[in-house]
Amino acid sequence: MNISATELSILTSASLACLIVGSLHLRVNLWLYALSTLFISLATGLTARQYSDTNLFYVAVLIVIIKAVCIPKFFSWTIDKLHVQRDLGAMVTPPLAMHATMLLFALSFVLTREIPSHAGSGNGWLGAAGGISLVFTGLILMLTRRLAISQILGFLVIENGIYVFALTQTRGMPLIVEMGILLDVLVGVMVSGLLLFKIQKSFEHIDVGQLTELKD
Amino acid sequence: MTELFRWLSFIVCVIFLPLLTIGTIRKTKARLQNRIGPPLLQPLFDLTKLYRKGETISDTMSGVFRLTSVTVMADVMILAWLIPWLCFKPWAPEADIFMVIYLFAFARMFTLLAALDAGSAFGAFSASREATLSLLVEPAILLALVALGVFSQSSDLRVIFSLSPHQTFVSSGIWIASGMAIVFSSLVELSRMPVDDPTTHLELTMVHEAMILEASGRNLALIEFAQSLKMSIFFGLATQCFLRALPEFSLIGTYFQAALNIGGIFILAIFVGLLESLTVKLQWRKVPEFVAYILSMSLMAALIAVGSRVIK
Repeated sequence: MNISATELSILTSASLACLIVGSLHLRVNLWLYALSTLFISLATGLTARQYSDTNLFYVAVLIVIIKAVCIPKFFSWTIDKLHVQRDLGAMVTPPLAMHATMLLFALSFVLTREIPSHAGSGNGWLGAAGGISLVFTGLILMLTRRLAISQILGFLVIENGIYVFALTQTRGMPLIVEMGILLDVLVGVMVSGLLLFKIQKSFEHIDVGQLTELKD
Repeated sequence: MTELFRWLSFIVCVIFLPLLTIGTIRKTKARLQNRIGPPLLQPLFDLTKLYRKGETISDTMSGVFRLTSVTVMADVMILAWLIPWLCFKPWAPEADIFMVIYLFAFARMFTLLAALDAGSAFGAFSASREATLSLLVEPAILLALVALGVFSQSSDLRVIFSLSPHQTFVSSGIWIASGMAIVFSSLVELSRMPVDDPTTHLELTMVHEAMILEASGRNLALIEFAQSLKMSIFFGLATQCFLRALPEFSLIGTYFQAALNIGGIFILAIFVGLLESLTVKLQWRKVPEFVAYILSMSLMAALIAVGSRVIK
């Protein structure tokens, strides 16, 4: 089985995302998310070089700037302001959640095996497996966390997964669509950050498990 | 290399490498605390001092206690001969993964029996803790070795660790994940820092040190040496895993391979020294979580190994 550099960087990114589930420290989570996103942008850059597509190259640069630098920076600023250091975790302990994530990683290989590869891209299903696994990882992350900030992180990981799936199956979308998505993600994160401040102010915590309790 | 030269270098390594490994860990810890620290061969001086000392044995002990140190030493020596932890090891018979794992367990069982035989409360405490630890860490180390076995389609450690010129990203991934799992499970197995502090002398929290509290003189020297030999075997095995992850490792010369191997053992010793200086001991309740992290590395190796067999 031979793996191209693009697929290798996608799989590395998916493995790094698995590690996010294993730690409850928010800052460690952010670092891992940034690293995982860097590998996705590396994969984008490699795909751009493979098809000599300038637009895809711009997308790679934009991903580094917005998703790997700005969003983690904004979140670490939010963490400082809200005075939270670590998530409390819900349902299962982080290592067990990580085991579940790894099994889902394996399952995603089985799921994507039958995807037909399009002309000239080799075995495209390996990258697709990475994308599906990122979606699963984000799902597990959202299920096993209690702080709102980790839920947003889980959403961002899912978004990465969908992007990777699109990249490996359709060689990426047009530049204008990608720019729109990146802008949406950035604005979404900013709005959810504002919401976090609002929740903190009215409930004095950001634990989503306790949001149903009524207060006067 | 001729067979005789292999035997000679192997015997020299079995005698001196364990002592130097322990010496390196102590030296690293001392340097990080701004002390000069004992010389690298201090463990050898300690052992010779213990050899000359007399021995005190309680009247209530049975023969098991005297038998333990000899059995453990012999068991670890056999393991050193069987396990491919050095590239220049002389000829050895087939070493099945499961046999090796349970030879380690055999040594541990005798240590536990000796701790219970002595009849002191601390011995029983630590014996129960050691039994728990071994129960926890066994799946992790077994899975790491089985992953390697699945990848090379054999349960014989000689075949698994034979040098093959085929290097891919997949095989490197398996070797690295298994090597990491072996390093961290050896920390649990040898009851070192994140799980147990070997330098503390608070009997209530010690694991391995409390089991050998009653041993003295030559008995203690044998047990200490067996423990340090076990440590170098584990570090050597992990180094072998990491070296096989390097591309083109099988193509370089035999002497250079041996130098890399021994260098790797010392690097791991320095790493353990750093870990012991920079981390704090885990709460006993947190240990299963630590082992679960190790297990996830083995799981990763196993999944890649099975995947590379199923998906061609």
